[in-house]
Amino acid sequence: MIRARFATFIGALLTIALGAGCRSERVEAPPGVLTLTASQSQATWIRNFNPLMPGCRWPSAAGIYEPLGVYNSVKGEWVPWLATAWGWRDEGLTLAFTLRQGVQWSDGQPFTAADVLFTFELIKRFPALDQKSVWKFLDQVSVGPEGEVLFKFKRVYVPGLPWIAHQPLVPKHAWASIEDPVAFTNPNPVATGPFTEVRLFQNQVYELGKNPHYWQPGKPAIEAIRLPAFPGNDQANLALVDGELDWAANYVPAVERVFVRKDPTHHHYWFPPMGSTVFLYANTTRAPFGSVSVRKALSLAIDRNLIVDVAMSHYTLPSDATGLSAAYEKWRDPGAVARGTWVRFDAEEAGRLLDAAGLKRDAKGQRLLPDGKKLSLSIAVVNGWSDWVRAAQVIARGLKKVGIDASVRLLDEGTWFQRLQQGDFELAVGWSIEGVAPYEFYRWLMSRETVLPLDTPAAGNWHRYGSEAAAPVFAEIERTTDPVRERELEVRLQEIFVDEAPAIPLFPNPAWGEFNTRRFEGFPDAANPWAALSPNKMPDALLMLTTVKPRAQGAR
Amino acid sequence: MKFLLKRLAFYGLAAFFAVTLNFLLPRLMPGDAAGAMFARFQGRLSPEALDALRRAIGIADGPLSLQYVHYLRDLLHGDFGISISQFPAPVLEVVWTGLGWTVLVAGSALIIGFVLGTALGIVAGWRRGGVLDSVLPPALAFIGAFPYFWLAMGLLFLFGFEWRWVPLRHAYSDGATPEWSFTFIADVARHAALPIFTVVVATLGGWMMGMRSAMVAVLGTEYLALGRAKGLSTVRLAWRYAGRNALLPNVTSLGMSLGFVLGGSLLTEVVFSYPGLGFLMVQAVRSQDFPVMQGLFIMITFAVLIANAVVDVLTTFIDPRTRSREA
Repeated sequence: MIRARFATFIGALLTIALGAGCRSERVEAPPGVLTLTASQSQATWIRNFNPLMPGCRWPSAAGIYEPLGVYNSVKGEWVPWLATAWGWRDEGLTLAFTLRQGVQWSDGQPFTAADVLFTFELIKRFPALDQKSVWKFLDQVSVGPEGEVLFKFKRVYVPGLPWIAHQPLVPKHAWASIEDPVAFTNPNPVATGPFTEVRLFQNQVYELGKNPHYWQPGKPAIEAIRLPAFPGNDQANLALVDGELDWAANYVPAVERVFVRKDPTHHHYWFPPMGSTVFLYANTTRAPFGSVSVRKALSLAIDRNLIVDVAMSHYTLPSDATGLSAAYEKWRDPGAVARGTWVRFDAEEAGRLLDAAGLKRDAKGQRLLPDGKKLSLSIAVVNGWSDWVRAAQVIARGLKKVGIDASVRLLDEGTWFQRLQQGDFELAVGWSIEGVAPYEFYRWLMSRETVLPLDTPAAGNWHRYGSEAAAPVFAEIERTTDPVRERELEVRLQEIFVDEAPAIPLFPNPAWGEFNTRRFEGFPDAANPWAALSPNKMPDALLMLTTVKPRAQGAR
Repeated sequence: MKFLLKRLAFYGLAAFFAVTLNFLLPRLMPGDAAGAMFARFQGRLSPEALDALRRAIGIADGPLSLQYVHYLRDLLHGDFGISISQFPAPVLEVVWTGLGWTVLVAGSALIIGFVLGTALGIVAGWRRGGVLDSVLPPALAFIGAFPYFWLAMGLLFLFGFEWRWVPLRHAYSDGATPEWSFTFIADVARHAALPIFTVVVATLGGWMMGMRSAMVAVLGTEYLALGRAKGLSTVRLAWRYAGRNALLPNVTSLGMSLGFVLGGSLLTEVVFSYPGLGFLMVQAVRSQDFPVMQGLFIMITFAVLIANAVVDVLTTFIDPRTRSREA
């Protein structure tokens, strides 16, 4: 009896506590409010809209603030933005931008050349804000006779164009009085972008309303964007699968089954392999990695198809020998790709190359260095980055098969990056630098200019490789304004990379992107690839923010 | 009085060591903050930015002794410095986003777990072999044996995702205005219910077993037999006589756990996307954010010390024997 009464009591308590009335429905944002997540992996938000520093909230650099031009990395072409046109003058010593007329800041004041000048003067005065180091090659910025902005260079440096064009521009009238713009959190941005009004800012969600003075008539079609905080990928995936997120940049395992099948009409994804290419870096300052045939042999011993299978669940493809991801598709040279035979999986050929390099096998089949020591090496990866760890395991297994005693070395993220930067490793898995043209990508893989001494922290070229053959090509690209000649030179870089194998490309990272068309439409996908889907691609995200629109009422 | 002073001196010394250790430890860690911030962008940031970042963040230079003096001075002024991963927000602002929520969830879970577990332990210990005693301990031990992460994920999936009884994440509905109104408090309660419940379920067993064992030890004592002979009611005997005497070990462990409340229940926060200090701490470690790490460690250390001081005092009230030597 007593127990029965107790059960009733507990039951009643539960009913009161959870109650039918309390039943949580799916959280639905108000009409016109697009909910999204860009990988910021943070449990709580700090209000910071300073577009000149990297720690700012998405999309401060391109979405709240805007650049002069936007490079569409999918189509491989420039989209004029706050400037309508630009070109080189004085034989490439001056870059002139014609500004768009009628652009207003979100407080109604006009956007003028003075603002552009102010921004560049500001990042000159505070080098911490000069994230692209444009003042390394810039001499001065001025206004020309027809109101165009003139960037005078110290020397001809054509690859500087994207860095200038992508610089977020801040208003002089609102920023001139800021004493320390480096430590400025800019809580209420005055900007030219599509979303400038902070409608809501809480530690777990923020919402940006559209700019009342936006220069593109009728845009943005979205009322506001809302960004909830997710501490990790799993939580963001739950919201995505649940239909709460309209747009996301999540890694989703088994995406067809987990996400698409829940609602095949509305749930879509697009994972183009256009992220940063993942490389196996061999420290060329250490024997025997200074030898090109040894590096090629290492590459031949790697089963990339297996890596793509077990580490990347077939979300990407094995890299070709140019190492270029799909973001450089228009530059890729079929000849260079065909020449790069060292990315296929061929243990026999690897063995032959190692033999030829003087790394003979001992009685037990172990490869020995020319001085007779056993060749044993470790592959440094970040502990917990499971895709890379699995890739490293596949690599180690392949190397063992050709007689190299290789082991996977799991390091804490901070330690790993420190060793990478200081060149304190034998083999390491790491990302590569993304740029607009292959020039930038290869500069950090094989330019002599990026080689720093060991122990000096380097942001790129961790493997310390400087190519003799590439040096004049880099130098000429920097001076070349002619697109035909530039193309020839960019192809030449690919050929040199394929010949010298400075680093061993594994696979390009996919650019994760998902969208839900239940409430919004106009997203790009594989069938209609007009822009990058991933909100992490900046400033490409501006193209999406100004194009995506609410679904017509009643449409299903 | 002498007893209390002695304790106080001990706590002062402990605090000093903690503060010094807190200064040294982050400086012994590998890696640098600008590098960690740069690394988070995995190639999307141009390498030139690394130099700029170093210039902006610029970890304090100068000899260690001078850094230490500055550190102590700032600490006395309640200045924990500027966060690096959330540059340029001050550490206090960063910590503030999680402090209240951590105290709410971890604190209430601890108190509920302690009170409920202790009460159940008293009942189970008093009526050994009863229904409660034979069903609950194995059941709770079974649940407690699940990895907490798994348990919380499973419950979130069932209650949050499948049945939709509780919200999936966060401390209150997105866009709700924090205020002292019934709707908002109810909203917070609804969001906190499942996180608290999972922690209570996972920890209940420990409190209950501890209390039950202590009860069993007390039950054989003569003063209980005397009390029973005097004809005292069972309730009075069980709670006031046996319970009070058996409580000490549990109160001591409560003091220890109380301190760790500030450390935040990391897993709870991760699973339920609940704002809190635990996740901030992990994030700070990951991004080499020394100032935030130091701020959090200091707060936790002092919370542990204060909680233990309170427990020390409390113990002398519950059981006069603990202070008898001084009396």
